[in-house]
Amino acid sequence: MNDFSSGTQALVLVLFTTLVTVTLMMCVMAGPDRDDLANFYTGYLSLTPLKNGLAIAGDYISAATVLSTTGIIALAGYDGYVLAVSTALSLVLLMFLLAEPLRNAGKFTMGDVLARTMPGRAVRIAACLVTLSATLPFLVVQLSGAGSLLTFILDIPYAAGARTACIVIVGTLMIIYAAIGGMRGTALIQMIKIVLLLGTSTVVAALVLNRFDWNPGDILRAAQHGSGAGPAYLRQGLQLGTSTGGLLDFVSLQITVILGVACLPHITMRLYSAQDVPAVRRSMSWAVGTVTTFCLLVIIMGTGAAALVGSQHIIAADPHGRTSVLMLPQVLGGAPGSAGATILYSAVAGMVFITLLSSVAGMTLAAASSLAHDLFAHAVRRGQAEPRTEMTVAAWTSVAVGIVAIGLATMVQNWDVGVLTTLAICIGASAVAPALTYSLFWRGFTRTGLLATLYGGAACALLLMVFSRAVSGTPSAVFPHADFDLFPMQSTGLVSIPFGYLAGWLGSRLDHRRRAAGSREQRRLYEESEARLLAAAE
Amino acid sequence: MVRRLKHPFPFTARIRAVVEGQAMTYADENRYPPSAPTGWPESYGHDAPRYDSYGWQAPWDAPYAPYAHETHRGDADLAALRSAYRLLRRVSTLTALGSFVVYVVLSCYAPGLMGSKITGEWSLGMALGVLQLVVTFAAVFWYGRSAQRSVDPLARAVRERAVPAGGSAGTAR
Repeated sequence: MNDFSSGTQALVLVLFTTLVTVTLMMCVMAGPDRDDLANFYTGYLSLTPLKNGLAIAGDYISAATVLSTTGIIALAGYDGYVLAVSTALSLVLLMFLLAEPLRNAGKFTMGDVLARTMPGRAVRIAACLVTLSATLPFLVVQLSGAGSLLTFILDIPYAAGARTACIVIVGTLMIIYAAIGGMRGTALIQMIKIVLLLGTSTVVAALVLNRFDWNPGDILRAAQHGSGAGPAYLRQGLQLGTSTGGLLDFVSLQITVILGVACLPHITMRLYSAQDVPAVRRSMSWAVGTVTTFCLLVIIMGTGAAALVGSQHIIAADPHGRTSVLMLPQVLGGAPGSAGATILYSAVAGMVFITLLSSVAGMTLAAASSLAHDLFAHAVRRGQAEPRTEMTVAAWTSVAVGIVAIGLATMVQNWDVGVLTTLAICIGASAVAPALTYSLFWRGFTRTGLLATLYGGAACALLLMVFSRAVSGTPSAVFPHADFDLFPMQSTGLVSIPFGYLAGWLGSRLDHRRRAAGSREQRRLYEESEARLLAAAE
Repeated sequence: MVRRLKHPFPFTARIRAVVEGQAMTYADENRYPPSAPTGWPESYGHDAPRYDSYGWQAPWDAPYAPYAHETHRGDADLAALRSAYRLLRRVSTLTALGSFVVYVVLSCYAPGLMGSKITGEWSLGMALGVLQLVVTFAAVFWYGRSAQRSVDPLARAVRERAVPAGGSAGTAR
């Protein structure tokens, strides 16, 4: 797979061990105080905007983003560029539209935001279920990818046992980070990760540019040649085709990404830990700046991979190009076995490894927090749980979520489950985004409307995804040989996002008609809490 | 007291309502408090909504005499804050989302235009894509500045009023 000597593998292993040891130590030292709930869920309320922004950016850039976006750029060129732009703009949209009211409305989880105007167990349970359905697929896809990725990096011969071992190791580390570190520990890891990620990517991108004498035109020419697609590399359509359906599919995917990615619960959760509104604004400025810089670097790295590695080699290693970022240093570093090549490869491998670890830890924590806070403390105990009990429950739910994710990831490790990323983003865009926008900005929103949005949007995305062409009917699908692709697209956003919004509106209309008293009460609660929502006034 | 929303341009109001996720609500769902004289500038942009408190037929420039300043001052501050936030949110979100949607649609349905070379290997589409990323930095900076100017002072006023009044004026709604 990769032509490196055992010296390189040894260096990579040493680097991995160092990273794990250092982060584990920091995690234990930064662990929350025993009885302080706010400390566990929000980390430091006193985190400076720069640090909080880096943590948000760290949560936002998952391993899936790094690996698949680079791969798509390397293989599909223009389509990948658009994806990088939409990934960056999604966070911008979160900052402009939702960040400030979310910070004021929320306490620890998404359930807190939604239940603020409509208290009740049904709302909490729905919020928890949607949080799980948006984070678990993302978690499973990254964990199952961890198996093949680590065996690729360490050049372990292909064997089911080796992959499973890698998944279990990464999963165990992720559980430890989430359960012991809480938000505080994971914030630290995210900061380390984003610094390493940005640093290494900058070096790689600079080396790519240097190889072509800092002339973008030469890179583009070489990339057109290396991708084997010629001028089509710089035109829309390589990823999903240029037929009418393909174009619609492309638009749908981009809209889903821009609306969905930033709404995912593990990212919005970081906003609650900002001290006040100006702080959340500054945090988001840092986060957006970091993510945008990274997206520019990804564009250079992806194009560089197409130009220097060539699509034949990339596809041979992984049909989706997810290993392209790891193949780049092998070409850039000079002769195989030289010090430069070894160091560069180890650095990129370390960057991918820490990105993987930190993003799965963040998602585990988001899922576990929702289970402990929404389901246990508010739905089961009706808000009467002792802080200490809730923290213990949160730690144990992290373990439970982690074990379930490891189990699922092991089960699906031989399938191509990249579709689960799309599913998570689709649920984010069609259930979480409508619920949050309605709940924050529409005083006529009622409980039935909220439940309809959450359940309807999520169910619509899930159903359509099962029958989409990403699951069956095409060679790159999960089940390439089966044929139940009734929904002729790769992503569901074009239908499921309007459906989610419509469900919320219809549900609220129904409440206005049938339960006028209830809907008036919810409006009263909205207006009462408006000063808090807009101005953080208590 | 029933307060009703009336807008001089109902169509714009509806478009704005759709943008805000308030599509097709009942006419009286936007129960804005009357804007009592507050010391804050009355308009926060050319399309800032204006409200009256007399139902549908009242003239727009009716004086807001019947309101005692002390009890409704908090309401007015909140209304001012709400519309300032709304304007900022609307302009920034629509610009970001709109430019991206136009970019994607053009990429898909006008490949000739987007594929036209501007210099060397750079096509218009690629340049626009990278430009959006670069402009993002400026947009974020602009947003921070505008929010600091238009929203933060109003939010401070609402907070300050809410604290000493202990819920009687600030949250008496």
